[in-house]
Amino acid sequence: MPKLMDAHRLIGPVPFDDLPADPRPEMDRLGIDRACVTHTLSLYSGAQAGNEALFALDDPRLIPVPAVLPGDIALDEVLEWDVPLVRLCPRRHGFDLNGPTSLRYLSALTVPVAVELDDTDPAQLRALAAHLPDLRILLLNPGYRRLRAVAELMDAAPRVVLEIGTVNTQGGVEWLARRFGARRLVFGTGAPVLDDCGPRFLLDHLDLPQHDIDLIRAGSLEALL
Amino acid sequence: MILDAHGHVGTWPDFLIPDPTADGLIATMDRIGVSAMGISHLLAVGPDAAAGNRLAFEAARSHPGRFGVWQVYNPHQRNPLVTEGVWGVKLHPDVHECPLDDPRYDPVWELGLPVLAHGQTDSPWSDPSRFAVVAARHPDVPLLMGHSGLWPYGFARAARLVANHANVLLETCGSKTTGRWIARLAAMAGADRVVFGSDACFLDLRVGFGRVALAPLAEPDRALIQGGNLARILGHRLTPRI
Repeated sequence: MPKLMDAHRLIGPVPFDDLPADPRPEMDRLGIDRACVTHTLSLYSGAQAGNEALFALDDPRLIPVPAVLPGDIALDEVLEWDVPLVRLCPRRHGFDLNGPTSLRYLSALTVPVAVELDDTDPAQLRALAAHLPDLRILLLNPGYRRLRAVAELMDAAPRVVLEIGTVNTQGGVEWLARRFGARRLVFGTGAPVLDDCGPRFLLDHLDLPQHDIDLIRAGSLEALL
Repeated sequence: MILDAHGHVGTWPDFLIPDPTADGLIATMDRIGVSAMGISHLLAVGPDAAAGNRLAFEAARSHPGRFGVWQVYNPHQRNPLVTEGVWGVKLHPDVHECPLDDPRYDPVWELGLPVLAHGQTDSPWSDPSRFAVVAARHPDVPLLMGHSGLWPYGFARAARLVANHANVLLETCGSKTTGRWIARLAAMAGADRVVFGSDACFLDLRVGFGRVALAPLAEPDRALIQGGNLARILGHRLTPRI
């Protein structure tokens, strides 16, 4: 079986539930080889504290995805991070995705950025892609209710890649694959806050050619990273 | 036997459903091994209960033994209901803007059929507390709480509210639930009080089923949730696959 990578996982405690802080036992149980992880401290406490906890990890299965907070974390420091992907949380962290500070940071980056749809909106992402057409964007947790708007975004911004974990309406992933190709879709979950069992099962039962499924399992994410 | 307690056919105005068809559901059911699904037509949940119910019965006739019908009752339209050849009655208090414990739903309870109702924590129409009220009034009516409260912050409360009402079962579908929460519900309420539902085609059948299939459950408990409990409730209403 080709390897399986989860593009969207969290490590650390959350304030609103009793969830496993360490993703690895569940990754083992579900046959997930590697995962891109952001530390929950970056989301629910402070970006820098979470990044420091993330950088203290030393496990090749866990790919660190630190949070960039434009203006608060120095750009020189961000550019020194040895990571293949960074996370943006504009709504959560209260910054303007298309503001001058953000654009200065993002124009200097050489790695792709991951952002949850609920942390911004399609119009903001379209504007960002227009400002920085070479920026690669991994859209996390797109959900299923805004599929039309997400598709319009993907039409307008060819460097947007989509995590499929919450594309949860009947045939939604196949619809996206037919429209945009599996190279723009990656497996991900958002676990443990979001569900990993359903997306993991879906992956094994997609009505797509095996080559496309292999891309979604890992190939598209590897290409992005 | 795997039974999906909560299915739909048809379109919904809020968002795109790439495959809203009965044939599409059957193909997916075959792909993953779901024996039968209880459906209501989304037209019936929405503006036309009678016409939507007719479409649900047509889908069931086209696929014998694969679809059971949850006929929708709209308390404003007061559409007629049948008692034979159905799994039961579907109620959507939020869409109909009628509280679950409102007397306008009394014609439904009086039939004694199984009832599947949308259940949403903090909703003025379908909060789980209203399930406890109607369960106490009608202890002989099997009542499935669709979505078990819908929002993760309300799942534990939903299980507590109906713990002493043995006729209420917690149904698993929803975009915010997880395999972990399904296992928790089974631990809190007992696996004999939890039933698998997907909400397909509104949601993807494979995702809903996968949450149960891969949830951290003991296999006997998983078997109850995947179909054993619903088969017990439906009894003779569960027509065999032809």
